[in-house]
Amino acid sequence: MILLDYHNRIIEDTLKARFNPENKPKLVDMSIVDFDGVSYHISTLENQETKLLLSIRWKCWPELIQYGAESVLKREYSQWITQPEVGYDFSLLFDLENIGADPEDVIRKVSLLKRNAMAAPFERAFDAQALAEKEEQWDPTTSQLMTIHYREGESIFIQNQQDRVTVIFSTLFKEETDRIFGKVFLQEFVDARRKPHLQHAPQVIYSHREPPLEIRHLPGLEDSESMGYITFVLFPRHFVSGQVREETISRIQIFRDYLHYHIKCSKAYMHSRMRARVSDFLKVLNRAKPEHHAVEKKLASGRAFRRT
Amino acid sequence: MSNTLRPYLNAVRQTLTAAMCLENFSSQVAERHNKPEVEARASKEVLLNPLVISRNDKEKVLIETSVNSLRVSIAIKQADEIERILAHKFTRFLMQRAESFVILRRKPIEGYDISFLITNAHTEQMYKHKLVDFIIQFMEEVDKEISEMKLSLNARARIVSESYLSQFN
Repeated sequence: MILLDYHNRIIEDTLKARFNPENKPKLVDMSIVDFDGVSYHISTLENQETKLLLSIRWKCWPELIQYGAESVLKREYSQWITQPEVGYDFSLLFDLENIGADPEDVIRKVSLLKRNAMAAPFERAFDAQALAEKEEQWDPTTSQLMTIHYREGESIFIQNQQDRVTVIFSTLFKEETDRIFGKVFLQEFVDARRKPHLQHAPQVIYSHREPPLEIRHLPGLEDSESMGYITFVLFPRHFVSGQVREETISRIQIFRDYLHYHIKCSKAYMHSRMRARVSDFLKVLNRAKPEHHAVEKKLASGRAFRRT
Repeated sequence: MSNTLRPYLNAVRQTLTAAMCLENFSSQVAERHNKPEVEARASKEVLLNPLVISRNDKEKVLIETSVNSLRVSIAIKQADEIERILAHKFTRFLMQRAESFVILRRKPIEGYDISFLITNAHTEQMYKHKLVDFIIQFMEEVDKEISEMKLSLNARARIVSESYLSQFN
């Protein structure tokens, strides 16, 4: 499994089981977590086993609303939106007896809840770029730099320009090993982009510690060895309306998780390698110990005896 | 095996073989104590001259000998940041398992990456030539292992980045 899924697998499985008319409705109460500190809560309403409530909580929710998440969510989930549950940011309510659409479709949509919420600033930037492109004299001051502090110490910056949209990730490598592995991976991203068959991919720029020019003026950027900045330059061909745009949004969103997931995977692989190598070394060292042949010794009377 | 590696390992092998003539020796300072003199350093006359064999400024071996114990410290090649972290991880991993490697020291000597402590008890229980073989083989394989790990990290990074970017096509 090299690529990560965009949707939440647990939500998908839970809803699949719940939406299946063959399964009798029963009480559910589960808390689910997702990437980037998102937590979900799936529960049935009190004494109403056929009413299923799904809530999401995310640190950066107010920022997403500010960048137009509400309209995106309304577009995707209009009929199920309900008052947010206490302690959560957004809730959906399903009536299991009347889901209101093709269950498969609903499940797919709902499992992409996090992705859709995050899609709002991307869509806004893409639309703004499309408008700016039509203008002859574009005023650069109208470009908006949207910041989403989606994790502790890590953010996404999205800026629209006349001919492109720039997405900048700031990422924090918690350990020395992660930092060095991360460097190798990010360098490969920059290099891979130069390959002839990957010319269509967006340009990737990586800088370590030094924030890119676009965001240098922002306050609150942490200056430490463990910070890394990755810039994606998206051109209109990357966000042609429809399938391409949706895919690009999902893909860019998952980037940080994808990177860190593979860093962790490499560490795990190194670990298993070292384990194997250590047992090899032990074998070599044990060869140095003389083998003791347990020869059975006998007394003069013929009785066997064993020295303890 | 490259040209400089063979004489280097040969020199280490010869020196170790010569140095590994250890005998039981009780402490002269404290009664009924028997400790590795190379560690205790309690009496000067039982310590022999330490010896450094170096292949280049990064790779070297320090051999310290005493009447009843011998300490071998190895500095592993670390050309760049990745090799440094891999070597560090690997030696740490080994040293956490020092109990099963009877001759391994839990901490390296300063300036080196990994140290072995061989006492007369070890040479009495184990074949001397095989102990030397072990250290030589260890030196050979550590380098190999680290460069293989580095290659596999790079290969992984390449596959990961290409499969991500190729989605955009």
